[in-house]
Formats: sequence, structure tokens, C-alpha cells
Amino acid sequence: MAFMITAEQKPVEEIREMIAPFKRILVLGCASCVAECAAGGQKETAMMASALRMAARMEDMDVLIEEMTIDRQCVEEFVIRLDDVIGSYDAVLSLGCGAGVQAVADMYQEIPVIPALNTEFLGETKGQGLWVENCLGCGDCMLYYFGGVCPLARCSKQVLNGPCGGSVDGRCEVDSEVPCAWQLIIDRLTGFNALDRLENIYPPKQWSKKQGKGPRKIIREDQQK
Amino acid sequence: MNGNYELTLAVFYCQNVPGSDEGERRILEKKYGKALRLFPLPCSGRLDPVHLLRALEEFADAAYVVACPKGNCRYFEGNSRAGKRVGKTRELIEQIGLEGNRIGLVYGSKENPETLSYQIDKIRDGLSELGPSPVLKNMK
Repeated sequence: MAFMITAEQKPVEEIREMIAPFKRILVLGCASCVAECAAGGQKETAMMASALRMAARMEDMDVLIEEMTIDRQCVEEFVIRLDDVIGSYDAVLSLGCGAGVQAVADMYQEIPVIPALNTEFLGETKGQGLWVENCLGCGDCMLYYFGGVCPLARCSKQVLNGPCGGSVDGRCEVDSEVPCAWQLIIDRLTGFNALDRLENIYPPKQWSKKQGKGPRKIIREDQQK
Repeated sequence: MNGNYELTLAVFYCQNVPGSDEGERRILEKKYGKALRLFPLPCSGRLDPVHLLRALEEFADAAYVVACPKGNCRYFEGNSRAGKRVGKTRELIEQIGLEGNRIGLVYGSKENPETLSYQIDKIRDGLSELGPSPVLKNMK
């Protein structure tokens, strides 16, 4: 099981519109999370670059499109690998997540960095080719109280004091393909004799730790120079 | 093939397909000359979609995969995985305006095992209406 940022490729048409003004384009892959979810790793980057080259040739456009994949677009130490080549291009098409796109853009102020992916969610790899959202990154984890099943991410109604009463055979009434998070919570807590945790009334979620004070950051002085 | 134009076909084939040994490959290459490029794979599951795209980008009017019969892969799922990858790659070329049938996959038959040579003829017949690739218009 692996957790990571998940993403999906934008439609090629949208990408082509964004790169249309440029003549020398670096298609930049990222070999971390987006490679794991088969959206922006080395293979997907090679495919995207090849498709864009063919599209350009079909329209007799004189465009240079080359590809490169770095280990991580969101870490400066990896992005500096572009220092030697970035001057050859007038735009970067990034197959990184939103964090990667911005990290690359931040390092090369004069070069437009265009996103080729739609960044989706913090995902769990549930199986081959299947990723699910089990965590919203709320900044105040309550999984202890709910037996390791997050009602905010996994209950369609985000009910903190459930169940809502609408589930049928352990399936959510909003979408029968979704397991009822509260059924899972009660099953889990019953399994290790901790159902009494649900005797508490949980007040509405404090979202200030997620988005109440603008962009979030983590500072760890013990990890810094 | 379409008019007087002879398409260049890239064929990636599983080496477990009947009639696909080295000798047969040489015979086929001699028979078709530049109109056919053959790429043996230990299993069609080894196929990477970028192989098909590179072939279309660099020399081929169409790129096809010849796989073993469904349910009859030596490695269990290789041919069905190849089928899914080919489908996804087809979607990608359609997004750039290329005809989807420039990429494809043919399965063999369990009941009547077909040779590589037969499969290639079948693919070529199926592409008889296909014109030259617009990707290669200034290259050939």
C-alpha cells in the first residue's frame, strides 16, 4: 500500500491550446507520485511528448518538443538538474502535480511552466490501476476516534456523529458503490472493543487548520540547516 | 493497399504466435521489404504504448500487435494487458486527430491457430482503405 498525490492527464486539446504560442518546449515528467499513478512518470512523459510532436507535424508546425523526467519536481535539489538545459526552451510542460509545477516555476521565473495534469487528491493505491481518496489532509487527524476510518473523507455526507441511517447492506445511499463509512467505523470499533468512543458527541470540524489561515506550511527546525 | 501507396506497417508480435520464429521473420521481411517492420516480443504483455507511438512518429503508417488467443497467454494475462494498453494508446492518437485504426491488436484463435504471416495479411487487408500517415507526410 502506498500513499501519494494522485493526478490525471488533461485532455490533449487543452494542453495544445496552452502550448500553442511556444516553439521550444520541454515536456517534464516527475518520477515520484505521478509516476506511481501512471499520469506523469517517464513512460507517460514519453507518450505525451511523442503525441505532441506528431500533432505538430500533422499541422506543419515548426516546434521543438523534447522530454526529460526528474526524480521529483517538488524538491529544489532535483529541479536544479534543469539548470543546464532550461535555456534551450521557451516553455516547460510539466507532468508533475500542482506542487511540482509551482516549484519548477519558482526556480525559473522567466520560463512559463504549463500544467499537463489535473492534480486530484491524496490517494491510497487500493489495487492495480485503482486509487481512492481516504484522507483530506485536514490538519487535525481524528482517525483514533473513528477506528481508523475517516468520516470526513469517506462518508458522502461528512457526518461526524453517524450513522445517518440511510445506508443499505453496508453501502452508501448516495452512491451504492461506496461502502458506508459509518458501517466500517462501527465494525472496526466493535472488532477491538472500542465502541464506547462513539459515546462522545463530536462538534463540527474546525477547518481552520486546513484552510483558515491561507497557505499551510510545516516548519521543522530540527530538519533545517 | 490504398491506391498506389504502400503503407509501412510496424508489427509487434508475441514470439509464442505460430510461425513467428527467426526464419519466418526473415521470410516475411524479404516478402514485404520496407512495407513491414517486425518487432518480436517475449510476450505481448511486454509491449509499452510508447513503442507504438514511436513507430508512428518515426516510420510507420500503422502499428499493430499480434497476440496469442484470449485466455491462452503463456504468462496468463499478457495479451489482455496488451489489449488494454493498445486501447488507451488509440484514444491518445485520436485526441491528436489521427485515425484510431492506425493502432490495433489482433488476437489469435484457440480453435484455428493462425500464423504470424496470416495475421499480417489480415491486418494489411483491414487497412486497405487507410491512406498515408499525415505524421510522415514530409518524411517519406
